[in-house]
Order: sequence, then C-alpha cells, then structure tokens
Amino acid sequence: MDGFSKYLAQRLFQFFLVLFLGISLTFLITKLSPVDPVEQSVSLMTSFGATDPRAVELMREALAELYGLQGSLFEQYINFWSRIIVGDFGPSLSSFPTPVMSLIMAALPWTVGLLLQALIISWCLGNLLGALAGYYRSNMLLKLSGALVMALHPVPAYIIGLVLLLLFGFIWPILPISGGAQMNLPPSFSFDYIRSLILHGTLPALTLVLGGIGSWFISMRSLASNIVTDDHVVYAELAGVSSGKIFSQYVARNALLPQLTGLALSLGGVFGGAVITEFVYNYPGVGRLLIQGIYRGDYSLVLGVTTISIVAVAVAVLIIDLLYPLIDPRVRLG
Amino acid sequence: MLIKRLAAAALAIAAMAVPAVAQDFIAGIPRNEALIIQGPAAQNAEWFNLWAPGGGSTTNGNQQLSADTLWWINPEGTGDAAWTNALAADKPQYNDDFTQMTVKLKEGIFWSDGVEFTADDVKYTVDTQIAHPGMGWSAPFTVNVESVEVPDRNTVVFNLKEPNSRFHTLFTVRWNAAWIMPKHVFEKVEDPLAYSANPPVSLSAYVLHSYDKAGNWAIWKLRDDWQRTSIGMGLTEAPEVKYVVYRNAGNPDARVIEQMNHNLDVINDIAPEGMFTIARDAADTTAYWFDGFPFAHPDPTLPSVLFNHQVAPFENKDVRWALALMIDIRAVAMGSYRGAANLAALSTPPTGTSITDYYEPMQDWLTSFTLDTGTRQITPYDPTVAEQVAALVRPQWGDQIPSDPEQLKRMFGFGWWKQDLQAATELLQKAGFTKNGNQWMKPDGTPFTIKLMVEGDNIPTLARAGTIIAQQWSMEGIQTTIDVAGPTWGQRLGPGDFQVAIGWTVETWGGHPDLSFFLESYHSDFIKPLGEIQPPRNLQRWTDERLDALIEANRKVSFDSPEVVQLGMDYLKLAVEEMPFIPLMAYNKFAPFDTTYWTGYPSAANPYAASGPFWSNLRYMIVALEANPSAPAAQ
Repeated sequence: MDGFSKYLAQRLFQFFLVLFLGISLTFLITKLSPVDPVEQSVSLMTSFGATDPRAVELMREALAELYGLQGSLFEQYINFWSRIIVGDFGPSLSSFPTPVMSLIMAALPWTVGLLLQALIISWCLGNLLGALAGYYRSNMLLKLSGALVMALHPVPAYIIGLVLLLLFGFIWPILPISGGAQMNLPPSFSFDYIRSLILHGTLPALTLVLGGIGSWFISMRSLASNIVTDDHVVYAELAGVSSGKIFSQYVARNALLPQLTGLALSLGGVFGGAVITEFVYNYPGVGRLLIQGIYRGDYSLVLGVTTISIVAVAVAVLIIDLLYPLIDPRVRLG
Repeated sequence: MLIKRLAAAALAIAAMAVPAVAQDFIAGIPRNEALIIQGPAAQNAEWFNLWAPGGGSTTNGNQQLSADTLWWINPEGTGDAAWTNALAADKPQYNDDFTQMTVKLKEGIFWSDGVEFTADDVKYTVDTQIAHPGMGWSAPFTVNVESVEVPDRNTVVFNLKEPNSRFHTLFTVRWNAAWIMPKHVFEKVEDPLAYSANPPVSLSAYVLHSYDKAGNWAIWKLRDDWQRTSIGMGLTEAPEVKYVVYRNAGNPDARVIEQMNHNLDVINDIAPEGMFTIARDAADTTAYWFDGFPFAHPDPTLPSVLFNHQVAPFENKDVRWALALMIDIRAVAMGSYRGAANLAALSTPPTGTSITDYYEPMQDWLTSFTLDTGTRQITPYDPTVAEQVAALVRPQWGDQIPSDPEQLKRMFGFGWWKQDLQAATELLQKAGFTKNGNQWMKPDGTPFTIKLMVEGDNIPTLARAGTIIAQQWSMEGIQTTIDVAGPTWGQRLGPGDFQVAIGWTVETWGGHPDLSFFLESYHSDFIKPLGEIQPPRNLQRWTDERLDALIEANRKVSFDSPEVVQLGMDYLKLAVEEMPFIPLMAYNKFAPFDTTYWTGYPSAANPYAASGPFWSNLRYMIVALEANPSAPAAQ
C-alpha cells in the first residue's frame, strides 16, 4: 500500500468513525431529554379544554403506541440505524405523521440559501479587508474598517439582529422584518418573487455577515502580516514589482489556503442552520425547525437535523483531507 | 488606488441591494379587506386534519375559522348571553339519570364544498374517533359513549356508559372542543390519522384561501355562502372582514414594531414594556381591553404558586398559609406586570361570570374570614389592595387611574391577603419550625429552603412574579432559589418534579359558573404517586375528603342548576381555608388591537367575544368588526 492509499484508508476510517460516534451520541443525548413527545402531544390536545383524567390516561397510551415509542432503548437504537442508512428519520413526533425528511427538505433551501450567501459574502469581504489591512498596514480607512469589524465580532447575533430590526423595521422601515417572502406570493422564478426573497433575506443575511466577517478578517490579517515579512515579498518590493501585484499574487494568494479550509468547514456547518438569526427574523429555516423540535420533545426531528449537520461537516472535512495531498506533497508521503 | 476602486465597487453593490421601496404587504389582497392576526410558526404547515395529533392546525385559523361544533360559551360573557347554540338548535337534553343526551340540530347548514351537514356527521365524528385511538377526542368518547343513534337527519342521541351531567361540554367550545368531522370526506379515507385534510372543507364562515408551506402564514377567505353556516345564520349583513390572515409575526419586539407599522391588527401577547410603548406612541390607532391602564385582557386562567403536597413540608396547610402571608402582593403586581395585574384571592380567575357569581357575593365572607395562627385569630383579607396598587401606578399613569373603588376592582382585582410577617412566624412555629438567626429551620432541624420553579423567558411576567416571591421568602429567612425549567417546565409539573412552582392549576369556562371544567380532575381518585404523571390540573396533588364530596355533588346536578354556584362557593371557601396553592392573579395578556383598518373590537365594556387569536370564540369578533372609514386606500 503506497503512502496515499494508506492516508486515504485512514481518513475514510476516521470519517465513518466520526459519523458513527456523532450520530450515536446524538441519539443518546436526545433520548435523555426530559421533554416527552407524548406528554407534549397530550398537553397540546388537552390544553385549554375540560380534561377527564381517565381519558387523558387512555390518550397517553394510544399516542405512545401510535408514535412507536415502545421497546427498549437498544431496540430503538437498532431500529434508528436501520432507518437512517436509507435516509429515513421516521415520522416527526410533533407533526405526526409527516416524515422528518419532508420537514427538513422544506426548511433546508431557506437555510442553505441564506447561509450560503451570507457565508460567501462574509468570507470574501473578511478576507479581502483582512488581506488589505495586513498588507497596507498604515492605511487609515483600513484601520477604521478593521476596528469596526473587530468591534462587531464579539457582539452576539441576537443583539445585531435586534438592532438591525429596529433600524430598518421601525426607525427607517424599508425592509421586511419577518418571514422568508411576501405573503400570498406563490414561489416561482418571477421577478416579484425573487425580489421578495432578496428583500426578506437582506436583514438576516446582513446580521450573519456583520457577525461573521470579523473572524475571517482577523485570521486573514494575521496571515497576511506574516507573509508581508517573508523574503519573497521583501525581494519583490526591492525588485520594483507593483504593490497591486505583490498584494494579489504574493500575499493574498499565499494566505488564502488556510482560509479555504475554514470556508469548507463552514460550508458543512450551513446545514445546521443559523438558529438565533432565524429566530429573530422568523426565517423558516432548519435552525427554527431545530428549536421547535427541541421545545416539543420531537427527538426524531432533532436527530434528523443534527444527523444531516454531522454528515455535512464530516463530508466537508473528508473532502479537504482528500484534497490536501494534491496540494501539499508532505501530506501524501504520510 | 486599488482600495478606492474596491470601495467604489462595494458601494455600487450595496446600492443595488438596497430596495427603493418595500413591497405591498400581502400580494393580491387589499389590506383594507384583510384582518391580520398573530399566529405562531406552523411546523407542519400542510396539515389541516384537526382530529389527528398532527400539530400545526390548531393555531393557524383552522379551528378558529373553519371548524364548528354544537355549542359555544363566550369566555368573557355572563349569564344566558354567554351561551350560543351553534350547530345545535337547543341546549342539550338529558334524561333523568344523565345517561342519555339528545341533541336537535339546526337545518340549512352546509359544508364549504356544498354538502349538507346532518346528524350523520355527528355520529360519524364519534364512531370514527372511538375506532381510532390516537385521534383527538377518541379517549373521552371511548370513556363516555356507549352508542350514538340518529333517529332522523337532525337529531342525535348519545347513549352514555355511565351518568355524566357534563357530557355536552365535550362539544362546547371555550377554547376548542370536539369539532364535527365531514363524513363525506373522511369516509373515503383509509386512515384518518394519516390524512392531512388539505385543503380542509369548512363548516364555518371562512375557508382556506392559501397558505405558506414554510408555515409563516395562512389566509382564510369569507365563504360565498357564509349564510349557510351556524355563525352566518345569526348575521343580518355580510361580515366586512373578507380575508383573515394568520401570520407569524416573530418575537415580541417584532410584534410591537409590526403593529405600529400597521402590519398586525391583533396581537396575542407582548411584554408590558411593549404594551406601554404602543400606548405611548400609537394610542390614536390602538384599542385595548381596558380603555387605558392596565390595558391587558385577563384570560380565564389563574397563575398561582403551586405547592407539591407530596413533598414535605408543603402538605402542611400552616406552612402554605405562612408562605402566602409572607408575600407582599403589591410588589409582585408591580414587578411582574408593572402594576397591570388583576389580583385574585379566590381559586377561580376574576374574569367573566366569576365576578358576579363568586367575587362580588363572597367579599363579606372573605373580609370576615379568620385564620388561626396558633396563638391568635387573624382576618388576613385586605379588600383595599386595588386602591393600594392604584396609588403606586398613579404617578406614572395619572388620570388614567380612576379613584372609584368599584372601577379599581375591575382593573386590579377585588383584594388579596395582607402581608403579615408576624402571623407567618406564628404559623411556622405552630408547624414546629424554629428560627436560627434569620434562617427558618424545619422541625427536623434542617434549614427550610425552597426551589421555586418557573418556566422562564417564554412567560416573562410570571418568571418575574416568581423571582419577586423568591426574594420575599428569602428575606424572611427561607432561602429560595429560582429554578428556570424552560421547555421542561410542563414536563416536570406532571410527574411532580418540583417543590414549589409558578403555574396554572385552575382554568374555567369564563362565561359559566360551573367549575367542573377543572374541578373534576381534582378528585382523589385521580391522584398519582410522586413520579407518575398527574392528569392535567391538580398539579399540586391536593386531596381532601371534603373536596371529593363537593365534586361528587357537582356531578349530580345539571350544568345550569342554581346549585352549581353554591357548590362553587363551597369549593372556593375550602380552598381559602386550606390554601392548597396561592392564587395570584388572572393571566393578563397584553393584546392591543390596531384600529387603522378595523374597529369594534371587544373590550371590558363590551365583552361580546373572546379576543385572543387562538381562542375559537374569536370568530364572533371577526364577523362583528367594522371597516374603519378612515383607513388608507386599498393597495
């Protein structure tokens, strides 16, 4: 077995181990939740109504049977694996009998659309500003933007979201503050619908961009600052190469490799949703679905969302691992 | 140069992204024909089967606007006016021993697909649910119904398994009830539990127009044949609200903003601060339950301090009374609702008919009620609490706070218990407690500490109430810590996994004095051991032979018997004596209405219907609203 094959085998083993452990742990953790889906349903069905205690007892038994919650934990665990191998997370317990996969697939496009654009914008902007700030270290405009970005970085998404909501929803009300698209507008590729999507996505995306740009900025500026002092950059400056070329070809390009790794990992995380931002703007994505699942004790739904997130992150890591030997020969040699 | 070019490019992109103008609020529907109501996010947006536990369909307008059943009680009403025969032509007719109920149905009512509603639908509703355990009303039907007969197309006879004078309440809406199923639709379905009922056929005046698959909104449209419904038959003119929009308006802050932007006509609930902001900045376009402070609408539910009677020392009534007398209710009212609380000393909410049936007639009894502290007799009731709270809020609200004591009682409640620390001390000593420094010690010599469970941010007013009570008990030598249970709050109440909690254990019809709505489940037959789930209500697991006797007596009298009120009073007196839980206040909801497009909302002065978005009685408000002639032109 040559070096690359051995490396590949190790990475694939790690990949499947991560999936197995991650999903198994999620299964166990959700089962430890004190929130019982049967009790949640009983509560929903009896809330605000006259409740005969004998009828409630009967209802509880019927729902436990209906939801398929009988059997030992081990039996449920085996049953769970046999289903998720074929991509079936079973019925949602809080939206019974709708399959969990249907709920996730309905929410996923919203989340992926929002997070993808926010991630790409914050990655591009953060890296660009970071690289510029690392190279043009005395530029006042870049210093100012750096200070602004870093000031926003530790602010929780909830606060940024609420401030934007007040700013553009109330003080200067030009943007919708709730939902994913205009009401009563059928989804289509029409100009009106796409415009509506952009308008409704602007504030959530801006929240994510403002909150996310800082980390890319800081790491890129640090990388660029180090590269600026490398011999090849100093030599290029002495040789009279234009600053634009040095920045783009000598500094930014070299600093980009680790940032691409970070981007790939973040892309995997997109499938987990942006819980807080979706909550603030009532955006119909996976994050909101996950919160609903947790509150209602719907562990089928929670398992479905987290499993997809685990798989997405693990796949992203695997792809990076497999691509690294092609970029860096030292990895190929083991 | 490079930086300048990049900055210019960024500005150009940003300028393109910022919209010049916002879009119309609802595509294709004139705003001045639509009533916009706060609804939650529907996780299962495509599910409209009200009879299966699919979730999502009970709070998106489906049960509020399209379902119907036999009778309705207006939770805000009093007397006969609170009762409505809906699909039924008359009140329920029982035989002498309450083993049979006969119902005459109205004629001329049609489903929205043109099929006539008949007694067969009612029989089908019961039979189908009994045959399918897991359906919403399967269990109570299974427990009660022996058989259903249909002697003719407008008569239904229910034969019951055992006497039940309250069987009709299964078909009587207060918040919801057993809705009638469309037989002609469901009989073609193989599994009624797996059927989404999308689109739903409507038995009431509105029918589904469109909905968001992501669950953020559902729009209901007035039926062309609205007159052929139970609610339409009672109207002389067509309802002016042509569309009803249930929309998820987001978090409480967003709801305030949306209403002030006139994008949300009816709010379910917001924090006091949001309410006061609306009252300050949008008073000209807003209506409230009360015409001014305290604004809030009191639900017929009763937030209370619940003691777990199966955990020592809370089984001891002297301890419970001592804890009650340590509370300064004025501080609780100010801290939780900033004064806008409707206080309750009796174990029934001070709303609807309870005011005239219980609170007013029992004032003399309450005032003269004496409590034995072990060393003396005290009269703990303070009928002037409303005036005291009024004095505290008057500096902020000025003329909005009247001086008439009768008006103040409607706003702030009839009275509560005086904070009496000396009496509390005597009661604890009577129970064998001793004081070590400022720390109360239990009879076994260990410190008396309490964990007070609250739900948390989901109901901020009650979390605040719990926190203030915990502070007061701690100051008096009982170290009390707040236990924020979050989403597990309800789950922990059921099996008794708490010492003391802020929660609900009493809900009433609101518009009827019968207390069986919650009291039936208080019978000791239904008490579970600690760790097993207690049926809803009686979460404090209170048992008392006198209570059982009252419940059994109530079962034997008819719903409308005058004895119902007397039995209710006997229960309330027993609850004062025993203090099984400490009633705090009605659950006040800050639910302002935007009057930009619609007027004629119900209020304390004219409580003709429920006003909460999820209360099915809301439909009686919707058909009564009038378009505001000053509304902006249709968009």
